Amino acid sequence: MSSVAATTTGTPDLDIIGCEQEPIRIPGSIQPQGALLVLDPVSQVVMQAAIGDRSALADDRGAIGRPIKDVLTPGAAAVVQDLDAKVPPAGSVSLGALRTGATLHHLVAHRSGGMLILELERASETEPRSFDEVYPHVRDFLDDLQHANSIEDVASLAAREVRRITGLDRTMVYQFDEAWNGTVIAEDRNDRLPSYLDLRFPASDIPAQARELYRLNRLRLIADATYTPVPIEPVLNPKTGAPVDLSHSILRSVSPVHLEYMRNMGTMASMSISLLRDGQLWGLISCHNRDATQVGYHIRTACDFIGQVVSMQIAAKESAALAQKRSALQTVQSRLLAQMAAAGNFVTGLLAGTDDLLALTGAAGAAIVSGDTCTLVGETPSEGEVSGIVDWLAQGDRRDIVVSDSLAGDMPGAERIKDQASGLLAISISQLHDSYLLWFRPEVIRTISWGGDPRKRAELDPQGLRLHPRKSFESWQETVRLKSRPWEAAEVEAATALRTAIVDIVLRNAEERAELTERLVSINKELEAFSYSVSHDLRAPFRHIVGYAQLLKKYEGDRLTERGDRYIDTIVESAISAGTLVDDLLSYSQMGRASLRPIRIDMNMLVDEVKRALLGEEEGRTDWTIAKLPSVMGDATMLRLVWQNLLENALKFSRERDEPTIEIGATDDGNQVTYFVRDNGTGFDMAYVGKLFGVFQRLHRVEEFEGTGIGLANVKRIVERHGGQAWAEGTLNGGATFFFALPKEVEVE
Amino acid sequence: MSDLKPILLVEDSPKDLELTLAALEQCQLANTVVVVRDGAEALEYLTSTGAQAGRETGDPAVVLLDLKLPKVDGLEVLERIKSDPNLRHTPVVMLTSSREESDLVRSYSLGVNAFVVKPVGFEQFFEAIRDLGMFWAVLNEPPPRGKGGSGNA
Repeated sequence: MSSVAATTTGTPDLDIIGCEQEPIRIPGSIQPQGALLVLDPVSQVVMQAAIGDRSALADDRGAIGRPIKDVLTPGAAAVVQDLDAKVPPAGSVSLGALRTGATLHHLVAHRSGGMLILELERASETEPRSFDEVYPHVRDFLDDLQHANSIEDVASLAAREVRRITGLDRTMVYQFDEAWNGTVIAEDRNDRLPSYLDLRFPASDIPAQARELYRLNRLRLIADATYTPVPIEPVLNPKTGAPVDLSHSILRSVSPVHLEYMRNMGTMASMSISLLRDGQLWGLISCHNRDATQVGYHIRTACDFIGQVVSMQIAAKESAALAQKRSALQTVQSRLLAQMAAAGNFVTGLLAGTDDLLALTGAAGAAIVSGDTCTLVGETPSEGEVSGIVDWLAQGDRRDIVVSDSLAGDMPGAERIKDQASGLLAISISQLHDSYLLWFRPEVIRTISWGGDPRKRAELDPQGLRLHPRKSFESWQETVRLKSRPWEAAEVEAATALRTAIVDIVLRNAEERAELTERLVSINKELEAFSYSVSHDLRAPFRHIVGYAQLLKKYEGDRLTERGDRYIDTIVESAISAGTLVDDLLSYSQMGRASLRPIRIDMNMLVDEVKRALLGEEEGRTDWTIAKLPSVMGDATMLRLVWQNLLENALKFSRERDEPTIEIGATDDGNQVTYFVRDNGTGFDMAYVGKLFGVFQRLHRVEEFEGTGIGLANVKRIVERHGGQAWAEGTLNGGATFFFALPKEVEVE
Repeated sequence: MSDLKPILLVEDSPKDLELTLAALEQCQLANTVVVVRDGAEALEYLTSTGAQAGRETGDPAVVLLDLKLPKVDGLEVLERIKSDPNLRHTPVVMLTSSREESDLVRSYSLGVNAFVVKPVGFEQFFEAIRDLGMFWAVLNEPPPRGKGGSGNA
């Protein structure tokens, strides 16, 4: 299709050996409808020449080695005088028409490789002599353009206008996709050539180097696909030693493969106008004629002008559409941000507006994955399948954002979830905790009409020497599966912006946590200072009360009644118990703060020591059974307190039994040792087991069993400081067993 | 019994002072008890300086030192005693309400001879004071002056 410089092939290999390497900028020849002269800019002597049409020349003596003014007819003298000054450094200049006898030529000059290139193109008597003659058409087009709302409208107007000005059989506007396949988005034609509207043409129809040439030189004409090229002689410039670069030439000869392509297509003349967006090739206005024909220079200039207007319109329309989309997405995004800010936690914030979450990227479903939790919104794969996607993302190169409109092609096994997730847009929030936000789009099955089967594009001739372009341009239907609607740039941008916002929130949360920790540390320090002063200031008055009361009793006791005596005893008892309470609390707080000094501990020795300290040498009525106890690493002072509390309790709660028994034993599971103290005392109701180890928690009235309710809290705290656990089992009036498990090796803090 | 060295009691709280004196009295020790009320006074006594220059009573057999004291606190007094070649053989018993581990660790690292947390019960307190008095004031034989360690020999 299209008027192309060089073209087509089938397999990638054919592309490489064929078109991609063809020197299309330096073909060494021109089309025959004129003459090309390469001049030394200073001497104005002709260095190289290709003469397709001799009628412009003054005589038959050849051009090479002669000054240009002698080569052309005297009428051209004024045109070529001071030529070097007339030609701009870049681009070309039209030097007007030159009549030589019965023929008319249009003169155009530009620079190439340090030389001046003068081209004389045969003109018809009827074609416009200046741009002014074409201008009314252009003006109408500009007026019509005011009413064009979309890129498609602009394209249709351009197709219609270009055909009107040129009179060619068919004009098409052709748009490239990201893979350089082209789709015909607008067309204007008569019935001499078939319609290609909506057809797609493979990227290989216009190879990369041809596209680059289109970018540099916006207008291209092939007047007759059956032409015989006219060689440039000599091939190399005698002064520079290089062939002439014809990138900006109007008469440049094209690849024979492309001419064959045109003939296969049934078009003998073609013209193309490049449409650029931000300096990149966006598309083409591609024109064809069934029969060979020339399009006049000023008509082509007008078409080029139309092409530039269309380019600008496309840029403006696309920018406007993008801006509109961005602004809509920004509204959605600011709502999400407000929700996240209010919630403090991004997951909660996003879930507060699930419609917005989906609208932000135009997704059908989303998943918020944060650590081990996964929250699904809308149409999504199952939680297990989402976690498979997250694993796949984590294995990859860990980009902040991953965009795919064909997940099945990117991720192994993703065909299974095509109905929910053929498209994936994923942002990574925290790589440390594998937090992701994923959006999904379902599969959209599409049918693409190709202008000919793209798999059969070209073939080598039987000798394998020459490429032949495809002959068939029959529409060929391709069904595209496992793909979603593509993610638009604005949607990807919105996701990226959301990621930035979430990362900010996550960071802010981390900062707030750090600040909180700092405050906790300082509050803890204050508490320590407080307990220190309690240890001095609160204990002293209790000591004083006890001391003075006892002195009173000692020295003044005989003057007291029995009742007074009892009062004093009660004062002493109360003050002592208050003092003990303070002591217990302080020791509890110390157990939390004191540093652990682990040594290997012989538990049997420790238990015997504690037992002796409690009972002296007397065993009393209690029947003791103490098994062999495995040793562990631990802090001796603290573990002594554990045994002391447990044995005290066991003695205390079993003392009312006729035959009190206490059993001490242990089990060793290799990593940790579980010790237990079992008694046959009053036991407890398992309903209250949760209260047993709390500070000031007592399950008995103080008259029944003395104590401050701190002992077991201390046991639990010490055991946990060692990295172990403490628990209890019991039945009311059926005895109790207290367990504590310690790791064999305690980690030094 | 003038050859018995006195006990130096350093205590700022009048109540603790009275109770400690009562306990010491009950021990029926023959030693004189010298009372000073803060760390600065204790150091003056020990070094026979300031108000205590030319004091009549002798060097103490033992110093019973409260931890929390005005002006110069107990730990600092302890440090000064133990770093003074003339004084470092004087036994020092820390008497304190504090159960703080850090105080205990610091006292021992400074070379305290005993550290007693004043018990809440008077009977226990009495026993503690009696035991201390018996050990340090009666039983303990101090190294001969000027001959021990790096003394002033």
